[in-house]
Amino acid sequence: MKIIRALILWFITIIFLFPFYFAILYAFKTPVEIANNPISFPTRLNLKNFADAIQLPGYMKGLMNSTVTATIVVVAVVIVTSMASYKIVRIDNWFYNSLYYFFQFSILLPFQVIMYPLYNQLKIFHMLNKLPTLMIVQTGILIGFYSFFYSCFIKTVPLELEEASRIDGCTQYGTFFKVVFPLLKPVTVTTIILVALASWNDFIVPMLFMQKESVRTLPLIQFYLFGQYAQYVNIAFAAVILSMIPILVLYFIFQKYIVSGIIVGAIKG
Amino acid sequence: MHRKFTDKIQSFTFVVPALVIFLFVIIIPFLRGINIAFTDWNGINNTYNYVGLKNLFSIFHDDEILQPFGNTIFFTVVTLFFVNFFGLTLAVMLNKTFKSSNLIKTFIFMPMVVSLVLTSYMWVYVFNDFGTRFFGISSPLSSASTVMIGLSIMSIWKETGLAMVIYYAALKTVPKELMEAAQIDGANSIQKFIKITIPFMAPAFAYCIPLWLGLGLRQFDYSFVATNGGPGTSSMTMAMYIYQYEFPFYKTGYAQMVALVFLIFILIVTYIVTAILKRKEIEI
Repeated sequence: MKIIRALILWFITIIFLFPFYFAILYAFKTPVEIANNPISFPTRLNLKNFADAIQLPGYMKGLMNSTVTATIVVVAVVIVTSMASYKIVRIDNWFYNSLYYFFQFSILLPFQVIMYPLYNQLKIFHMLNKLPTLMIVQTGILIGFYSFFYSCFIKTVPLELEEASRIDGCTQYGTFFKVVFPLLKPVTVTTIILVALASWNDFIVPMLFMQKESVRTLPLIQFYLFGQYAQYVNIAFAAVILSMIPILVLYFIFQKYIVSGIIVGAIKG
Repeated sequence: MHRKFTDKIQSFTFVVPALVIFLFVIIIPFLRGINIAFTDWNGINNTYNYVGLKNLFSIFHDDEILQPFGNTIFFTVVTLFFVNFFGLTLAVMLNKTFKSSNLIKTFIFMPMVVSLVLTSYMWVYVFNDFGTRFFGISSPLSSASTVMIGLSIMSIWKETGLAMVIYYAALKTVPKELMEAAQIDGANSIQKFIKITIPFMAPAFAYCIPLWLGLGLRQFDYSFVATNGGPGTSSMTMAMYIYQYEFPFYKTGYAQMVALVFLIFILIVTYIVTAILKRKEIEI
């Protein structure tokens, strides 16, 4: 019985892994090998695909753009939402209570509802095709969910320490950054990873607002790659595999936190 | 008195950055969008006229909206059901721990971390170069009648891991003593599952079901990247329908009205479903 269950589970796992296998295989093959037999192993490790991928126009630039954007969005979301959620949870009056629902509302909002007005607004302020714009927009979209996330957690943090530090004459900032923020570490770690993922993989926002080649991020470059290099699928897949590596490394190192963080939101929220 | 006032100001500065960004990115565009919905604006000109409820009435005469609406509902129902069904099944199977269960969880969750763009392309090639060549099954994405099934498969593949992880965590909250007591009282495993496990899973259901409801209704990327709404318009979803009116067609006023009606639809559906789940949670 136990063996049958394990077999079924491994079978399902193999089905889940199959598309990855396919992508990795293609990344190592030559176009001729792919045409002959798509699922066979390559006759030799064809690393040239990866070398070609790095030299694709705009690829390294895209990698840079994605890295810088994801880093800054992570920092912005963590600081901005943790500070706001702290006051939203701790102060009980109409203003802060309605802020909570205000932020929550955006979780349900389809992006298409604000897409065009936002595009137009950015055009008026001459903010299109600038990386900081991408960072601001991504942060704005993520504030809703992560303030909910932080709020759930802050509710469980005891008040005594804060009161003690206030009596010791700490300012509110001092109390927050020296006393409260370190206590939020579990939720912060999860937020860092999930926001990094969301920013790194975001497609629609850069597609709309970052059309110029110099500011494209990786998902956009991948999107255009498969359009332009249809006959060089191998290079396109090599490029995609390369851009998947950082995120998979992050995932394997921090998966414990990803999972535990999602659970904080799901079960205890 | 003075101390109290500066205290309040200081408190307020904590929420200012979030509030400013949120106003700029979400609220102002949202309010402007409501305004645009009542105009004939084309998105480019500086002038436009208010047309009252004309855009709203146009929706009911717009036959082309039926297909994207149907597709959206289909995609939502299918992915909502299968993601949760597979997620729950896998969680239950993995709950009886054996050696490699952690590894399996890691692998099944892995699709969750890759981008939708990559997911779409991987599956396009899996369908074409594998399915068609080796099994003679034509790619579901190439025919209008099956394309939504193809997109649903991608979504189920990508998101089942997340549902599994949540249900798995919920299963861990079921007290072992209760299970053992039921065992002694002679309950079989199906009875135990329905009477004990399901009630402890209620919070997980109350989280997962609205989550995939919202994700499904707002689906844009799969249709856009994998099929560009095609073949023809057969995989257009509501989100894409709104998008095409904004960008290639420049009927911004009408698009904003559709978006607004769609938002209200989402809010109502989500509210009803959440309310039902809440009531069930209390009943149990």
